[in-house]
Amino acid sequence: MTEQTAMGGGRDIFFVSNAVNELGGVATWSHQMARLFADRGNLVHMVGITPPSHPFELGPDLPYGTTTLYDVHPPSVPGAHGIKGKLNLADRRRRAARAEGMQEQAAKLTRMFRQARPGAVVIVTQVWAMEWVALADTSSVTVVGMTHESFEACRRSSRFGRVKRYYKDVDRLLALTREDADLWAQQRLDNVDFMPNPLPFFPAEPSQRTSKHVVSIGRLHEEKGTDLLLDAWSEVAPRHPGWTLRIYGTGSDEEALRRQCTELGLDGSVEWMGRTDDPEGALQDGAVFTLASRGEGFPLSLLEAMATGVPCVAFDVAPGIREIIRDGEDGLLAPPGNTLIFARRLESLLADQELRDRLGDAARENIQRYRTDEIVRRWEDLFTFLER
Amino acid sequence: MPDVSVIVIVYNDADRLPTAVQSVLDQTHKSVEVLIVDDCSKDRSYEIAQELQAANPGRVRAFQLPQNSGGCGAPRNHGIAEALGTYVIFLDSDDVLEENACRNMVAAAERTGADLVSGMCVRVYVDSRHGKTVDWYPWIYSTSRTLESITEMPDLLVFDTLSTNKCYRREFLLEQGLSFPVGIHYEDLLFSAQAYVAARRIALIPNRVYSWNVVENASAKSISNRRHEIANFVHRMEIHRRVDELLEEKGYEDLKFRKDVKFLKHDLVLHLRDLPLLDNDYRHEFAELANSYLATISPQAYAEVQPIQAICAYLLGKEDWKNLMPAADALITPGKLTAPLVEKDGRIYWCAEHLDDPDGARILDVTAAGYHTRPLNKLSLGNRLTSYADDGRGKVRLGGSVVNPLGRVKAGAELTGALEFRARRTSLQSFRFPLTSLTHAGRTLDWKAEADIARKLRPLGIIDVVWDVWLHLDIDGDAVSTRVSAGSIDVNSGHPLHVRPRLSRLVSDRIEPSVSKKGNLSYVLTASGAATVRTQGLIEEALRSKAAGVAKKSLRKARRMKKDLNSGETKVRVYHEVLSKLPIRKGLVVFESHMGKQFSDSPKAIYDELRRQGVDFEPVWSYEGAKPTGFPKDATLVRRWSYAYLRALAQAEFWIDNQGFPASLTKRPGTTYIQTWHGSALKRMGFDLPQMKVLGRPERERLQRGLDRFDHFLVRSEHDVRTLARGFKLREDRLLRAGYPRNDELVAARGREIESGARERGPLAAELKIDPAKKILLYAPTFRATPQGAVRRFELPFDVEAFAERFGDEYTLLIRSHYLNQVVLPPSVRGKVIDVSSGYDISPLLVLADALITDYSSLMFDYTLLDRPMIFFTYDYEEYAGESRGTYFDLREKAPGPVVGTEAALFEAVAELKSADTEYAGARERFAAEFGEYDRGTAAQQIVAKFFTSGSGK
Repeated sequence: MTEQTAMGGGRDIFFVSNAVNELGGVATWSHQMARLFADRGNLVHMVGITPPSHPFELGPDLPYGTTTLYDVHPPSVPGAHGIKGKLNLADRRRRAARAEGMQEQAAKLTRMFRQARPGAVVIVTQVWAMEWVALADTSSVTVVGMTHESFEACRRSSRFGRVKRYYKDVDRLLALTREDADLWAQQRLDNVDFMPNPLPFFPAEPSQRTSKHVVSIGRLHEEKGTDLLLDAWSEVAPRHPGWTLRIYGTGSDEEALRRQCTELGLDGSVEWMGRTDDPEGALQDGAVFTLASRGEGFPLSLLEAMATGVPCVAFDVAPGIREIIRDGEDGLLAPPGNTLIFARRLESLLADQELRDRLGDAARENIQRYRTDEIVRRWEDLFTFLER
Repeated sequence: MPDVSVIVIVYNDADRLPTAVQSVLDQTHKSVEVLIVDDCSKDRSYEIAQELQAANPGRVRAFQLPQNSGGCGAPRNHGIAEALGTYVIFLDSDDVLEENACRNMVAAAERTGADLVSGMCVRVYVDSRHGKTVDWYPWIYSTSRTLESITEMPDLLVFDTLSTNKCYRREFLLEQGLSFPVGIHYEDLLFSAQAYVAARRIALIPNRVYSWNVVENASAKSISNRRHEIANFVHRMEIHRRVDELLEEKGYEDLKFRKDVKFLKHDLVLHLRDLPLLDNDYRHEFAELANSYLATISPQAYAEVQPIQAICAYLLGKEDWKNLMPAADALITPGKLTAPLVEKDGRIYWCAEHLDDPDGARILDVTAAGYHTRPLNKLSLGNRLTSYADDGRGKVRLGGSVVNPLGRVKAGAELTGALEFRARRTSLQSFRFPLTSLTHAGRTLDWKAEADIARKLRPLGIIDVVWDVWLHLDIDGDAVSTRVSAGSIDVNSGHPLHVRPRLSRLVSDRIEPSVSKKGNLSYVLTASGAATVRTQGLIEEALRSKAAGVAKKSLRKARRMKKDLNSGETKVRVYHEVLSKLPIRKGLVVFESHMGKQFSDSPKAIYDELRRQGVDFEPVWSYEGAKPTGFPKDATLVRRWSYAYLRALAQAEFWIDNQGFPASLTKRPGTTYIQTWHGSALKRMGFDLPQMKVLGRPERERLQRGLDRFDHFLVRSEHDVRTLARGFKLREDRLLRAGYPRNDELVAARGREIESGARERGPLAAELKIDPAKKILLYAPTFRATPQGAVRRFELPFDVEAFAERFGDEYTLLIRSHYLNQVVLPPSVRGKVIDVSSGYDISPLLVLADALITDYSSLMFDYTLLDRPMIFFTYDYEEYAGESRGTYFDLREKAPGPVVGTEAALFEAVAELKSADTEYAGARERFAAEFGEYDRGTAAQQIVAKFFTSGSGK
């Protein structure tokens, strides 16, 4: 950590998320940021709307407090669509009850915000949580909304309409990249800006890149594109005996993927590693990292791999990816879904230790633009700017 | 010091000033001051400004110029001098700033260090009933960009000439001595150009920053709207000259060129539009001014604009009013053909004059537009009013002349016609008046009509105020409809005529001739009697009332419901919930080829075979477009996506097509789907395509469900099994190894040829008037798509005139463009090159051709069955088959004929065709065996036997 510049006593910073400790990228990110802000003398408080459905352990001594509004997850009620929907009395009653419950929980937020010192900032990490913040009185605080996925991924989801509705009047809406922010501006969210994620870790030593292991880390879910990775690997493996593809992660698609692996005749060159709690170790042991996702935001795994000096091959499916990787300079990109080119890029790395070293070293160097002190500085600059 | 000074200028606009100022005070960025500069208004503007200053001490300052300056320059300059902020923004008193404008522009300025930040402006139509807004040059503002120099993005200077949607570093303005010119209109053009050129860095942001409120139909038009005044034009030319000087000084040639192109494309159009309606003095003065400016425009700029724009500029330069007037008319309505054209030396020209001048010949050449080949009813023919007279009461006598392009309407043609009056908005009623005469006058068709408007035209009133006039002609059975352009006839001086609306004369009692925005004759209902005038006032008021609002809303709702009823979504629902409950009809077969575009291909071959064998079945053919052409008369024809189509599909026993019935329609279990497919694959297909692989699971599953509807999928070879069947993930038991029915004809032709030792030309050769002494070459390329998947415009990749010149005596060249493309041949190749793109099925053409020139089209796999020579003209192989898309095999390795990449090589290959024929005989045999092993000439018979005559039906 570099020099401390926190102002007297720091700021009150609230994180409001769907849940405080839901397994996944957003919670990982928010606890990392919360800790960084707390370390700089800010008073951080983390709010979850509901208890998590897949919790993770928070650890003993958090340097900030946490609150969860609901004791149990509020029941979901379908929206009133068409005449039938509007006339459904049971649903109407449930909707009314839910709305009342929301008001009650929003009032808790209002109390927290009112007690905060001037200059307080509320960071809403997910748009669902924003529905409660929107009901609360935020006149005394600065509200920063966030969308932690690419514009395109959001556009294909149910969140798209809600982002446009609930984030319309926040003081600043943050996308992950400039390119995503521009796309939101075209949707007439003219309050949009962007903020990249910080590096989750930065190992003291880079990978040697001499093992004959290609590494993939991620849930075994179709969005992560492991099936595409296997397609590509089937082009590569026969030409590069001795190399192994190590797939870390578990998930609902595991069985289908293992079947595909067998059908492609890859059982001898693919190792199913299961879930890992030590991504750093997995990466240290890798010579090449692959990210075959169909959709992404600002992938932490890519940041981790590059910080470890492992050269990466990825499908260019999101602005976040081309923001992180400079194609040919510190990693390699393939057009979305083009497994032939992905395979060719991968092969070029397997065949050439010198290229691996060059790209890997450049990756480790360049990726430091996302080191934590730099990202914290950008956040603090933003807070100051929003006060002008 | 505030971050931003917003300079609000005002002149006689006291009412709107507070709104403009409030939009600044409401900025999310708070470090902002407002400077109001009043240009010595005659109303209360300055007092309002002072009140705003008093109400917002320290945030608003009010200034007044000692005397009126008559423009925007002087007050803005005053504002710059008084401003304190780090940045300066200009705002007009009738506009508003978007609430995040200052925050976004300051953030961009600080992030980039730019002298100038520009954001998107939106035009807000304040009179619009539906809140119409239009983004101002959105393509410039689609993404954030930082320019180190304006030369990186000439469009910015050329198009966005506003000074208001921008944020300037104040020091930058002062250092550069930038100020607005005073005493001249269009000061923004010069100021923004100077600022762009002077800025060392420019930042563009996609955020909306400025709302430009636009008032349409205002009685006192604002400066920029009063185009027809010559004084304005003088100012405009002067400003253009000064900007050009600036660019020249800097040596910015490319910028100047881009600006020239824009002048021809846009600026000139604005003025030429009005020309037909203006008098000779004005025209002459205008031409003088314009021509002295046009002389400074780069001659190359003409090549960058639409042909008609270049033609207008050229004719204006020649002051050739006779030819310019119709051209200017065509400029207003794109695509309209207002000149009879001439053909000379195998090319088509706009007019016969100026062709000795090389520039003239180049600019006036309109061969590529295809006016000589497109059917008459596909041309938008110019129709100019030549006489107009009324009796002052109710009768009008009109005369006009319709262009007869290239004399295509022959002197003996049978001509009839009528004039139609049609309400513009709802088109509830129309009234027809027969022509009193219609004569062929060589280069025009002249008509006369008499309309007794007072007696025959019965508008409803109130809702059908505007009436358009149409002329409908029947030329030898071809229907041609045109609007009537007022031309230089001053119809406005015609008398208001009596009219009797169905809602009584109280709503209106007169109908007046008028000229529409596009220069066409129309009529407008008006009021003349005192009672009527009063009623109209009442009606206007009532139309603005709450009750009228409710009525209009319900009307809109009703219209929307009617639209919904015919929307795809509703149709799909009706198909599944209603039509699919109807019983399946035995023997009902729905055929479709290329999504209804043609009666062709394997579906046609199966249909023909069923007919030939006299099978008892009920055929339905699907067609796309307004009118089916070329479809069999003894089948039921249904338009694609009509309810009749959906019903036929829902009840059919068989679906037979070659591309895919709409994927959203579920096939019933009782229906058998025979997918013939339309060609073997060179390029990767289906789920082998990257864009399919990258889709999410729900989308892939949806696509797969569409493909899984195929009960039988025809394949021609094991290559198809490895490629198409795998790419579509089809089950092995769905594959029917029968070959393509469309190819039966080819196999039969080859059989006859071997048997008789001679190649016979069928009736098609005679129909195409092909010289029996000449060999026939068929050029059939496939289409090319953009990376986004849109079909690219097709242009012949070789000089067809050179081809005809060199080979015309030996060969007749048939050109078959892909059905998604069109081709235009110049008259010079008549008889030597024939366009067979539409109206012919492909198989007979293949049989007719003695050799085939193609690129990547799947026709290569079919033509190989004939064992005749082929040339592969793959001038864009890398781009087409390159690594980004991938092919199933390398064409260059397996091609059964020479693969050439240039025009010269193509011509060489054609010259060497005979030797290539024998050289590639072995390759052809291998190719045919690999890609057409199941094409044995019995595909249609096999299918008819399997599904229709064996009795099983499955």
